[in-house]
Amino acid sequence: MSGKTGGAARRDEPVDVLIIGAGPSGAVAARALAAAGVSVVALEQGHWLDANDFPGRRREYELVAQKRWHPNPNVRDLPRDYPVETSASDINPLMYAAVGGSTTLYAGHWTPFLPSDFRVKTLDGIADDWPFTYEDLLPALEEIEREVGVSGLPGNPAYPPQRAFPTPPLPIGKAGQKAVEGLDKLGWHWWPGTNAIPSLPHNGLNPCARRGTCMTGCPEGAKSTVNITFWPHAIRDGARLVTGARVREIEVNERGLATGAVYIDENGRERRQRASVVIVCANGIGTPRLLLLSRSARFPEGLANRSGLVGRRLMMHPFSAVLGVFEDELDGWVGPFGQLVESFEFYETDTSRGFVRGAKWGAMPGGGPLGVTSFVGSQIFAADEGARVEDAWGENLHNLVARRFNHCLVYGIIGEDLPENSNRVVLDPDLTDSDGIPAPKLLYKVSENSHAMLRFHVARCTEAVEAAGAIETVVVHQVRDTGWHLLGTCRMGEDPATSVVDPWGRTHDVPNLFIFDGSTFPTSGGVNPTATIMSVALRQVRHLIAGRRLQEAA
Amino acid sequence: MTLTDADRAKFAALADRLIPAYRNMPAASAVDVQHAMLDLALQARPELAEDFARGLAACSAETPSESINALFRQDHAAFGAVNLMAVAAYYMTDEVRRLIGYPGQESPPYDPHETPGYLLDGSLERVVRRGPLYRPTPR
Ligand SMILES: Cc1cc2nc3c(=O)[nH]c(=O)nc-3n(C[C@H](O)[C@H](O)[C@H](O)COP(=O)(O)OP(=O)(O)OC[C@H]3O[C@@H](n4cnc5c(N)ncnc54)[C@H](O)[C@@H]3O)c2cc1C
Ligand code: SF4
Repeated sequence: MSGKTGGAARRDEPVDVLIIGAGPSGAVAARALAAAGVSVVALEQGHWLDANDFPGRRREYELVAQKRWHPNPNVRDLPRDYPVETSASDINPLMYAAVGGSTTLYAGHWTPFLPSDFRVKTLDGIADDWPFTYEDLLPALEEIEREVGVSGLPGNPAYPPQRAFPTPPLPIGKAGQKAVEGLDKLGWHWWPGTNAIPSLPHNGLNPCARRGTCMTGCPEGAKSTVNITFWPHAIRDGARLVTGARVREIEVNERGLATGAVYIDENGRERRQRASVVIVCANGIGTPRLLLLSRSARFPEGLANRSGLVGRRLMMHPFSAVLGVFEDELDGWVGPFGQLVESFEFYETDTSRGFVRGAKWGAMPGGGPLGVTSFVGSQIFAADEGARVEDAWGENLHNLVARRFNHCLVYGIIGEDLPENSNRVVLDPDLTDSDGIPAPKLLYKVSENSHAMLRFHVARCTEAVEAAGAIETVVVHQVRDTGWHLLGTCRMGEDPATSVVDPWGRTHDVPNLFIFDGSTFPTSGGVNPTATIMSVALRQVRHLIAGRRLQEAA
Repeated sequence: MTLTDADRAKFAALADRLIPAYRNMPAASAVDVQHAMLDLALQARPELAEDFARGLAACSAETPSESINALFRQDHAAFGAVNLMAVAAYYMTDEVRRLIGYPGQESPPYDPHETPGYLLDGSLERVVRRGPLYRPTPR
């Protein structure tokens, strides 16, 4: 990597750095590298989207949210997605293929990992410590928060003190206020939600208009995604982003160094992008898939897989939700559909509860009238086999909508998922994507610890909505379509025998191959991970830039 | 998918079994679910067209109750499509939205600099006073 060849590279001309995947982690890397004068090409299987593509302003919004804009790629079934074989998984993985990656559909809950998340071995005697600490990562986090335009209130006692957020918190609304009433009564922790959604214009983003359709893409250009906040800067500085480009294989030379990647372009043509350094940012499923696809005589078990850990230790944060129904009107459709209020009351380990680690709660509004009949991917309103249609629907439907629509508050529970070698991503022998490339298959079982944790948290959330005066509660236990956090499948560590990448994201086996996404996470935390994914990517890319003259290249 | 007047009338009769008039709420056919809103719903979910058409074909306008119940027992996918089209079309109409108080996904104005209630009523202060919750990094 010479670092002298800044400026836009022409198609397929060799570059300093090739990045695979244009989601948050790839964007953070591209922007920093381009700013440092390094020539960069990024390959992304999806396309650019803009605010007008999203359905939130349209009358049929709730209907298309269940299909075209569904977060499960197997449900969407679009040619740009790859399918995932899930028959042996308790949870369906969720993601999106576009510039901006899965954050196209994310809820924008901004919840950096806490100090204990980096030290679970030392503190709780389980899994592994990270090779760095919360404090080590904090400067990168604060820098990322500036760019992202996070909205929030400083001083949250769940976290150590840090720099203030760049924009003030969003209104918590009537639903958030309801959540507060219950938590306040119980004396439990709560804080106005911190979100990757600015309340003021910021870095190309509009302020949130509270439209409440964040999870089908923000039609106001307000939810913070890297297609708005990072890629325009990277491209201005010379990075080239090729969309509709699906990488099939990372190639290596006779010295065992990565030389670039083979990809299929939009027209089905096979192309080759050569580079001195390759960084994979394709998420916790796409990244191990690609390494497993990149087999060669030298790497028969897949690239950078001498440890045998590529694809293993998949963590997806099994999820449950508690819905409280109240007498009062709560403006159930008003956003953000980020978190109105968050609670870390039961985040840290207390072994008397029968499990280790903990979970974060995010309080959200209830959504529109169709959402009342189906909820975070599960049908909560369905008739028994033997029922008469008129009894199951009919007056029942009218009563249900009257009672719940505009009267709901929903607690989403994100709990720490512990790493296990048996939870893994492999290649499916039959299923392929639209370019004929083998699709990933998941082998994943929800652990006993997660079961116990979710049972405990569901019970506490139920108390919280009851304390707020709920007249009805509904528990949606372990929803299947909730694998929104894809972590752990290319573990980071010091020891090449027990990890795939080193503490700086460089693969132990291939010195010019890096992984900067959430696959490298040794443990998963009990929070939404994007703040930490972006911060880790920034930390790693800064280190790569600083040492680039020493970097071994093909 | 082209629907005849007879198809629409049949759909309306089936939809009324699912969504009858009740208290202040009108029946599905009374808000005309079988026309513009059905078209919009089908357009939004083209992948359901086949199941929907099969469901409609299996039912009779003369015996909507028997038909829809038989469909529910015998063809889940077709019943699901007819049911979703009816419910979605119903809640997309202006009249029903007005009755349930749903303005659609609007964008209500707010002032991000306004001091939030929780800072004025002392509730957040109580959280702060309970002190830090996190476990610091062990040294
Ligand atoms: C519905 C939903 C809600 C979520 N809510 C939250 C939330 O509230 N808070 C939070 O912190 N996180 C949330 N997440 C998670 C968040 O979206 C991810 O953590 C984040 O997007 C990860 O960034 P990434 O860059 O590592 O991967 P991704 O964003 O997944 O990006 C990877 C990119 O790589 C591309 N790619 C993959 N394979 C290939 C290939 N072979 N060739 C070319 N391109 C390829 C993909 O198309 C994709 O664009 C949510 C996710 C979903 C799906
Ligand atoms: S609530 Fe805010 S961020 Fe979410 S979709 Fe609406 S405007 Fe966008």
